[in-house]
Amino acid sequence: MIAEGSLILFLGFAVLLAIGAPLAVALGVSGAVVIWLEGLGVMSVPTNAYTGIAKYPLLALPVFILAGMLFERAGVALRIVRLASAIVGKRRGAQGIVAILVCMLLGGMSGSGPADAAAVAMVMIPSMFRQGYPKPFSATLIAAAGSTAILIPPSVALIVYSVLVPSASVPALFAGGMIPGVLAGLALIVPTLLLSWKYGWGVQDGEETPPFWTSMKDAIWGLLAPVIILGGLRTGLFTPTEAAVIAVFYGFFVGVFIYRSLSLRDIYRVLVDSAEMSAVVMLIISLAGVFAHAGSTLGAFDAFAELLLGFVDNEAMMLVMVTILLLVAGMLLDAVSVFLIFLPILVPVMAAYHWDPVWFGIVMTMNLAIGQFTPPMAVNLMVTTRVAGVSIEATMRWAVWLALSMLAAVVLVMIFPQLALWLPHALGF
Amino acid sequence: MNEPHQTSGPGGEAPPRVPVKIEEFCAALAMALICCITFANVLVRYFTNASFAFTEEFSIFLMVVLTLCGASAAFARDTHIRMTFLTDRLPSAAARKLEYVVLAAGALMFGVMAWYGYFLFRDDWDYQTTSPGIGIPQWIYTIWLPLLSAVIFLRIIGRAVRLVRGAHSGGQA
Repeated sequence: MIAEGSLILFLGFAVLLAIGAPLAVALGVSGAVVIWLEGLGVMSVPTNAYTGIAKYPLLALPVFILAGMLFERAGVALRIVRLASAIVGKRRGAQGIVAILVCMLLGGMSGSGPADAAAVAMVMIPSMFRQGYPKPFSATLIAAAGSTAILIPPSVALIVYSVLVPSASVPALFAGGMIPGVLAGLALIVPTLLLSWKYGWGVQDGEETPPFWTSMKDAIWGLLAPVIILGGLRTGLFTPTEAAVIAVFYGFFVGVFIYRSLSLRDIYRVLVDSAEMSAVVMLIISLAGVFAHAGSTLGAFDAFAELLLGFVDNEAMMLVMVTILLLVAGMLLDAVSVFLIFLPILVPVMAAYHWDPVWFGIVMTMNLAIGQFTPPMAVNLMVTTRVAGVSIEATMRWAVWLALSMLAAVVLVMIFPQLALWLPHALGF
Repeated sequence: MNEPHQTSGPGGEAPPRVPVKIEEFCAALAMALICCITFANVLVRYFTNASFAFTEEFSIFLMVVLTLCGASAAFARDTHIRMTFLTDRLPSAAARKLEYVVLAAGALMFGVMAWYGYFLFRDDWDYQTTSPGIGIPQWIYTIWLPLLSAVIFLRIIGRAVRLVRGAHSGGQA
């Protein structure tokens, strides 16, 4: 009863998710119930839960989360904001561009958006407000710019993609995300400038522009972090996990000895918080292993993919459909969760059209990045609106422009795959 | 990915009686050990050309411990990723009933993991399997899956109990 089993699997999962079960539990329970009903051997439940996370490449995930959190708590964001303000000065839309650039730089240190977005929002929303930017706009802009963190290496989402699609290696994906990530950030600058000109944001607030050289001296330690992470990966000296660990020790050194902003108690707190944040993600990965085992043994994913392929017979149409699917899914869930749910179905589709796995991973991630700042369930937007003290509804009129602009960047990468593939090829991954 | 709220779940539940600090400490320790082992590995390889890549196995084991301990703390605090978009729009009595169903599903999941995980451990114990990398008995690794799953099971039951108590005291007030 393959069809019946598949139906229970997908429907059970959807119902559990809808009634508010933790995503990990929804995946694990629907998988386990089907395994039990279809007599696939219940011992495979703990086995797959264990082997789902007992993978060396996955080790990079908790360590990059820790590294990102260390830089955040050490106060790197504030110092980079000061430097960026010193460089751009006070012009129309200048602070908006500063916010975008700072988010992108922080994305080069940590692998997930919400924490970066929160850090930048706390520093920048008050000063942007004094220069005339409405708070809902600032919150939206920072949420959108923070979403590039899942594209700009290191990226937790891309690590998970690589674990699920082993033919796309982590270094290749990291290199592949670089140009599209920058492109997505630049795409935000256009509507920011246009809106600033139209509404006259970016007036003098009477505060002094911070001096360039002192700001530079302060920020350089933070700015070196992406160089160390990417440089280590580029030379092939380190595995992604090792590069992450080097970043952790560097962040520790900067936080404790240079900025002196981290006490022993802070360090312990960072360890606890990053461990818990990683655990939440990895439990989903672990129990998604149970779900994937049930689905692939039954042939449910292949059947679903067949259905999709039979429904659409044209490559471009399929890409459009996948994009719409991912945009909607990205509005409801974070990127890692969407990968775990949809990749088993999309991998056969990718194989059918001979799409490059690195390119497809980047396009998927770009789509999901848009979802991170599009209401109703936008993870980044929830963090920044809380910091700004505005409602999510108020951000709607700004979010539309930023989302459309970033969507244009996605379309560019879809039409010109070399935007994602040139750098990994040039670096020889 | 996560919402950074550290407070208790919906309805302002009482904090758990067994402090979550225990799992927090284990998860933090696992994280610190992973970093130190990997860092030592890099240093040793850089300076001596030798590698002790067999420690990979131990780091991966630590990652499993980190996941289960951290997940346990997150269950106690209700910080797991979940979609509350629909349940937030329900009347609170209905939402609470659904929450019981959700907790039961969680308890079922980790009950199964603990029970069948125990058999996995028994296999390694009975057949004296040794680990491929370091060569220590494999059960040293596998025992933690049922053990920590049982801890998570108890955390979920604990949250259910607190929810029931909260419902009663809330009804009287």
